[in-house]
Amino acid sequence: MENNAPANPLEILAYILSAQIKDNTIVYVGTGLPMVAGILARKTHAPNITMVYESGGQDPIQGGMPWSVGGPFTWRKSPVIMEMAYSFGQCYNGYVDIAFLGFAQVDMYGNVNTHMIGDDFHKPKARLTGSGGNNDLTSLAENMVLVGLQTPEKFPEKVDFITSVGHLRGGNSRKEAGLLGNGPVAVISQCGVFDFEPETKRMRVKSLHPGMTFEIAQMCTGFELLKPQGEIPLTPMPSPDIIDILRTEVDPGGVFTSLPQA
Amino acid sequence: MGVFDYSREALENLKIDDPGILDRLVDFEHARTVHLKKDRSKRDKRISLKEAVAEYVQDGDVVLDTGFGYVRTCIQSHFEIMRQGKKDLQMIGAPNTNQSYMIVAGSVRYSHNSYIGAEMRGTDRNYTRQLKAGKVRILSEWSHGGIAQGLKAAQLGAPGVLSKQMLGSDIVKYNPYLKVIQNPLKKEPDPSVFIPALYPDVTFIHAQAADKYGNAYLYGPTVNDLAGAAASRKVIITAEEIVPEMDIRFNKKGSIIPFFYADAVVELPYGALPGSMPGYYYWPRQWWEKLMRFSAVSEENIKSFIDEWVFGTKDQIEFLEKLGGAKWMIEARRQTKAAEGDNEDIDFSYQEYTINNDPGIFY
Repeated sequence: MENNAPANPLEILAYILSAQIKDNTIVYVGTGLPMVAGILARKTHAPNITMVYESGGQDPIQGGMPWSVGGPFTWRKSPVIMEMAYSFGQCYNGYVDIAFLGFAQVDMYGNVNTHMIGDDFHKPKARLTGSGGNNDLTSLAENMVLVGLQTPEKFPEKVDFITSVGHLRGGNSRKEAGLLGNGPVAVISQCGVFDFEPETKRMRVKSLHPGMTFEIAQMCTGFELLKPQGEIPLTPMPSPDIIDILRTEVDPGGVFTSLPQA
Repeated sequence: MGVFDYSREALENLKIDDPGILDRLVDFEHARTVHLKKDRSKRDKRISLKEAVAEYVQDGDVVLDTGFGYVRTCIQSHFEIMRQGKKDLQMIGAPNTNQSYMIVAGSVRYSHNSYIGAEMRGTDRNYTRQLKAGKVRILSEWSHGGIAQGLKAAQLGAPGVLSKQMLGSDIVKYNPYLKVIQNPLKKEPDPSVFIPALYPDVTFIHAQAADKYGNAYLYGPTVNDLAGAAASRKVIITAEEIVPEMDIRFNKKGSIIPFFYADAVVELPYGALPGSMPGYYYWPRQWWEKLMRFSAVSEENIKSFIDEWVFGTKDQIEFLEKLGGAKWMIEARRQTKAAEGDNEDIDFSYQEYTINNDPGIFY
């Protein structure tokens, strides 16, 4: 059945994420939209990427959308499945170019919280998953891309718990803490694409999605966003062909790219 | 006073005033003594799951969760631990999702944490509730990679590793085992995290196949299990099938746990239920959705869920019947084989469990 509906926000996010991936690179993907983005990139502009998953699966042959990062589609006929320590070890040793993960909160320096909401560790408003592999990848990967919804609560000035260090307190502080790689290079939300100003390492608007203004993006943010010089570019949107590939070949069940029903 | 010099900041943040409770996980000398005293004889170690849990799990033990949360994880062994009313266990694993419902049953009281939840199925509201009610105490926070390196250090035969993970994060402030130190070979400042080798008390590992001596064959992601088996004081192998030793020697090229680690061997087909088992069965996906979306939301719901699925079944065979018996077995085998590329591709779409729609099936 042909589906010509305009791209929904999750499909747009998946596309923008996929656009961060260059061909012939090794990509470490987390659960959800990052998986969709990796597979979409492979079916469009980056057919020669190698995907790596935290359970140890890597370089699977193409199958369906994994139900879990430990599921068979992440290690379908893999030449080798890594033990967990070795999987992150590859990241340390320079065999991962880009990694994608989600967050519960991200602050103005790209520090990530997936631990808890609230100010009391022992009695949090909500206890979340904890690190999983989030800290490991953010500590080690050459380039980190974060994806999630943007609200003032999810983009606070200070996260409730630093699960993963982005640019810590800005400036040189990430490197001084002993961490590897460039840290977060992009944050992608329903509002736009953000990067980090090279000196202060504060979050900056890189592009805004169509229909979005700087003022709206600022209203969705709990700290002062930096503006790029000159006019703010528009984020390129997916062509109908790409949306079609996403719907028919990448996530036909809409597991990760259909909007939740009320 | 204690043998170990734990991070004081972490002890304070975690409100641990009895740090002796932390010792066993890092007590290499003790683990080595236990390993030296193990009976090395190549003997038939087969016993039942009930016997294995009764004999090898003591209240207060440090238990390593194995597999990947719900992939080749020894969940039926967890259920038997709950049925036998084992108490005050410490649980560690990467992930260690399964401790959440074990807390409700009173089996797990202490948590070494790296990940709680079931990925896209939503956050684990049960764990939040148990934490607030003081039913579980967090003894240490970790990243997946940090635990993996601690277990791997034990397998490598090293007191610990220097890691570049967890630096600068709040995780190090909530983990008494970790110390940030200077890389001693570098002239320039080079902060690194010392992660001690980790030695759990007891580890259940669910294997695709094992011989009666305990040589165990793992297929699919082994995650931390080869390291955990090498480190753990007590190792129980449960397996889908018990095969002749010669099958392991001639045919099972891949990941093998050597027999002399194993204290007991349990023939336990469907022992990873309700998780998936590479080569054997796919997840009953709706079971996990119901756990996270319905059962976890209140004390009443989680208790009735455990009553139904754990205390209401006496073994994995009754559990399997509740999932749908033969029909479920056929679907789950087809699904896992198709997903692994060993059967023709099938349609993986299914009716999810949601609060408004309980499809009443588990495939």
